[in-house]
Amino acid sequence: MTAALFLVLLFGAVPISIVLAMTAMSYISQSGNAVLFDSFAQQMFAGTENYGLLAIPLFMLTGELMNEGGMTKRLVNAARVLVGGFRGGLVWINLLANMFMAAIIGSAVSQIAVMSRAMVPAMEREGYDRGFAAATTAAGGLLAPVIPPSMLFVIYGVLAQIPIGDMFLAGILPGLLMAGSFFVVVTLIGLAAEFPKGDWMSAPDALRAILAALPAALIPVAIIGGIVLGIATPTESAAVASLIAFLLGWLVYGELKPSHLSALFLRTAQNASLVIFMVAAANVFGWVVIYEAIPQKLAALITSLTSDPFVFLLIVMGALLLVGMLIDGIAALILVTPILLPIATGDYGISPFQFGVVISINLALGLLTPPVGVGLYIAASMSDVKPTAILAALWPFLIAVLLVLLAVCYFPSLSLILLD
Amino acid sequence: MRGRVLHRISHAWARAEMCVAAVLAAAITCLVLLNVVTRAMSASIFWVDEAAIYAMTWMTFLAASAAVHFSHSVSVTLLTDMLPRPALDIARRVVDAIVLIFALLMLWLCWRWFLPLDLARAGFDSVAFQGETFNFIYAEPTLTLGIRKFWLWLIMPLFAAGLTLHAVSNLVHPRSETAAP
Repeated sequence: MTAALFLVLLFGAVPISIVLAMTAMSYISQSGNAVLFDSFAQQMFAGTENYGLLAIPLFMLTGELMNEGGMTKRLVNAARVLVGGFRGGLVWINLLANMFMAAIIGSAVSQIAVMSRAMVPAMEREGYDRGFAAATTAAGGLLAPVIPPSMLFVIYGVLAQIPIGDMFLAGILPGLLMAGSFFVVVTLIGLAAEFPKGDWMSAPDALRAILAALPAALIPVAIIGGIVLGIATPTESAAVASLIAFLLGWLVYGELKPSHLSALFLRTAQNASLVIFMVAAANVFGWVVIYEAIPQKLAALITSLTSDPFVFLLIVMGALLLVGMLIDGIAALILVTPILLPIATGDYGISPFQFGVVISINLALGLLTPPVGVGLYIAASMSDVKPTAILAALWPFLIAVLLVLLAVCYFPSLSLILLD
Repeated sequence: MRGRVLHRISHAWARAEMCVAAVLAAAITCLVLLNVVTRAMSASIFWVDEAAIYAMTWMTFLAASAAVHFSHSVSVTLLTDMLPRPALDIARRVVDAIVLIFALLMLWLCWRWFLPLDLARAGFDSVAFQGETFNFIYAEPTLTLGIRKFWLWLIMPLFAAGLTLHAVSNLVHPRSETAAP
């Protein structure tokens, strides 16, 4: 009954956070634990009382400031210097800029939103199909969860109680592998379809573009440096990054005025609350998981099937693809980590870092997979195309990520080598 | 006509919620930066972390209520998008009704939690209230802020009330006419 209600509400277009909370209410009233109702609102409130979550509005604010302050534009320009003249150059630029941005924004959804607005019109003007343009941007957004600073890694680190800085190190090689696989995909598509050809920049223009983008590169340096060197927590480095982004946009690039800030804070509050409210609702939904002892039941079931960690990870991958399709990345991460992590580390001896990388990529993949891929819908609404048109151009990227994911599962050293 | 007035109230309330939420977002940024600066000078202020977290909590619930008015929430629209126009309108009304049910349930849950009538009956004496109800909501302290925690918890009934207002307004007023913030 509770499961049926969950599915009906979810596919009936009820907001996901309300679906989670109402499912929990229905479960409580059926299980006879009515005393839980007394602390229901308190439990929702408690879901937001976490220091690590503060990083979410701060990273979102940094992303907004970078975009409004002209930093995104300059990074795209710098990428143009490197690959602009190749056939299909703009596709490469889109991916490269996404890689830069992934190191800064840290949330696939907001990255897709920001980059769709910046890149899709530009690609369409040069003669690309709009669905393909949106698909490349959405695929680039897949890099956000793995290249530090990643919002999923922040939340996973909080849940798994492991150092977030080390988690970021673990994501670097898999992130580069994913970026590499995208370049292969683009090359292959480029061979089949004739991409429009771009122009190389003149040497002085190129120099100017690179110089203009250099200050913007301070931001990822500040974030990653602060965290890895242990000077600042991810939350603090996010705040410092937003300050740098604001000062650069205002004083260096002159595109941002203090009077713009109120609109930016408004958007940050709106977008961050979508995510954090989901975390709050997931906290009451967690009762369902705990009272039904789902981790224990699941562990008993899976250990009876296999004792091989790789096979276990394959099972997890299948399950998470399904979950990732149904529930947004962060909410899904919050739901599955407490269930799966004890099984992975306890029963199979998998490193929590490798496991974190695997489930984060996995859930990000789910962001772009129908029926629920939030990223897919955001890319669609930002670039004004049907989700199906994006999907038609997106599937080669999804397969590439799937292959990288298999490699990360099979070779633990891919995520662990930088940690030693 | 009544729907229009209600819609205007809902709109004004949602804008107020978003205004406060934006101020709180700015406060979060300043508080965390303050923490970085004071720690670098080895003069950390102990209550800043907790203040930043509760600023975030209030921001979240205020904006979450306003999201119902502005239809910003993330939902799975795959199936409903396939519906023809009249059926889609009905489906939206049903979602509005479900959101209203949720809002009313939240109000009821907050009532069960805060027990305002019992508190009044105990003459607003929290010790007498606890003896009657074994509900310790009004005694719980915050860790570093030096105030009772129920002041912060008040965001939950505020959230439930805002949600109810927006949900009722959405139901009596066609959604397509709601404007962006």
